[in-house]
Amino acid sequence: MIAFEQVNKFYGDFHVLKDINLTIQDGEVVVVIGPSGSGKSTLLRCINGLETTSDGVLKVKNIQVNEKKTDINKLRRNIGMVFQHFNLYPHKTVLENITLAPINVLKQSAEEAKKTAMYYLEKVGIPDKASSFPSQLSGGQQQRVAIARGLAMKPEIMLFDEPTSALDPEMVGEVLDVMKALAKEGMTMVVVTHEMGFAKEVGDRIVFMDQGRILEEEMPVEFFENPKEERAKVFLSRILNH
Amino acid sequence: MLDFSILVNYFDMFLDGFKVTIIASLIALVASFFIGAIIAVMRITSILPLRWFGTAYVEFFRNIPLVVIAFFFYVGTPALGLEFSGLTAGTIALAIYTSAFIAEAIRSGILSVPKGQMEAGRSSGLSYIQTMRMIILPQAIKIVIPPIGNQFINLVKNSSILALIAGTDLMYQADLISAKTYVVFDVYIFVALFYLVLTIPLSTGVGYLEKRLAKSY
Ligand SMILES: Nc1ncnc2c1ncn2[C@@H]1O[C@H](COP(=O)(O)OP(=O)(O)OP(=O)(O)O)[C@@H](O)[C@H]1O
Ligand SMILES: [Mg+2]
Repeated sequence: MIAFEQVNKFYGDFHVLKDINLTIQDGEVVVVIGPSGSGKSTLLRCINGLETTSDGVLKVKNIQVNEKKTDINKLRRNIGMVFQHFNLYPHKTVLENITLAPINVLKQSAEEAKKTAMYYLEKVGIPDKASSFPSQLSGGQQQRVAIARGLAMKPEIMLFDEPTSALDPEMVGEVLDVMKALAKEGMTMVVVTHEMGFAKEVGDRIVFMDQGRILEEEMPVEFFENPKEERAKVFLSRILNH
Repeated sequence: MLDFSILVNYFDMFLDGFKVTIIASLIALVASFFIGAIIAVMRITSILPLRWFGTAYVEFFRNIPLVVIAFFFYVGTPALGLEFSGLTAGTIALAIYTSAFIAEAIRSGILSVPKGQMEAGRSSGLSYIQTMRMIILPQAIKIVIPPIGNQFINLVKNSSILALIAGTDLMYQADLISAKTYVVFDVYIFVALFYLVLTIPLSTGVGYLEKRLAKSY
């Protein structure tokens, strides 16, 4: 479970996150949408401590993320993250990318880690790329490796920050398919995306953000058919019309 | 025409000096690399005292002449109860002086690795040190090889300051030979050739490594 209680964040004088209250249950798929600069990435990155909160309480699995005594590395084992630009390690093969954290964080044997890695590569549909380097893969393949890399830690939560925004259109589908399968298996997911089809199909809830605030929190059907906030309406008409 | 009889007659002295130059350079090279890497990491951590120390170290040693550092360890430290031979004092000075430049090269290499690499490592549960060691530094090294190679070449050449503090290196022996024989020109030409024997393979090696790393991924 992820719980934001009255969370605020500042970058210097700039108020990025304003009075965030949000609870995400285990197994829930929450899709965060909103215009550029509204604070979506920042919200997501607070969950695994890549950004610190300025005040309020943020708990993941009942552990306060920003507490001094919290072992952040331990908390992060449970939270996978997928980035817009994949962030694969270019000097390591696909297999090494995936086994690095299981071996060095979970202390798995190389053999065990390899077995797990192959299982997830199988799952994302590219077991034949295990010994390739990231630069030899297409964007869609790289992003699927990144997802497999996250899953290999067997996390309970997966965070996605615009995972398909950097992809050529013909590759978006293959990544979304992997994510949909994951959602259907009951993974807790927080997804920042502009893919409204994905949001409708597997999202349990839409969180709409604007200027650092959560303006609307709604079931997808309700949100898309009947947005309440004026800014949500404007935003929707803008992205659905292109 | 060069007087090769000098080279032949005093070959043992040339060779002794050459060996000392090689050994001092090698030790200083390894030491300066490790010190430089540690200082570089200090300079970019968020732990302020370490960062201050790293910055002070680099700014201090980069901006004073090498000879001053060498004299400090040769004639300065005995006052503190620490006595070094010229060779040891010179090698320490070389290592410290060069490490400041290497630290800067490594630091800029580290900073040129995209931010997302550290984020990916940290968000998978790796510690800062682990991420540095396994993800950032291996990528930075590729960028850093040419400037570090240049520093190593400078180091070999700079090792000639050993001569000033009786370090028994190549330059020191050359001074002795030329004092004995009253031959100046030829002696130093031979010395130059000895230095080239070290520096040319070094720069070729760096060039080769650079090419190989460029192809590695
Ligand atoms: N390190 C930082 N320092 C200062 N301001 C920042 C920093 N990171 C982000 N911001 C600002 O905070 C605001 C929110 O950024 P954020 O990246 O969370 O937005 P976003 O909703 O993810 O936008 P996008 O859709 O463009 O990715 C932006 O105005 C951005 O300029
Ligand atoms: Mg963003």
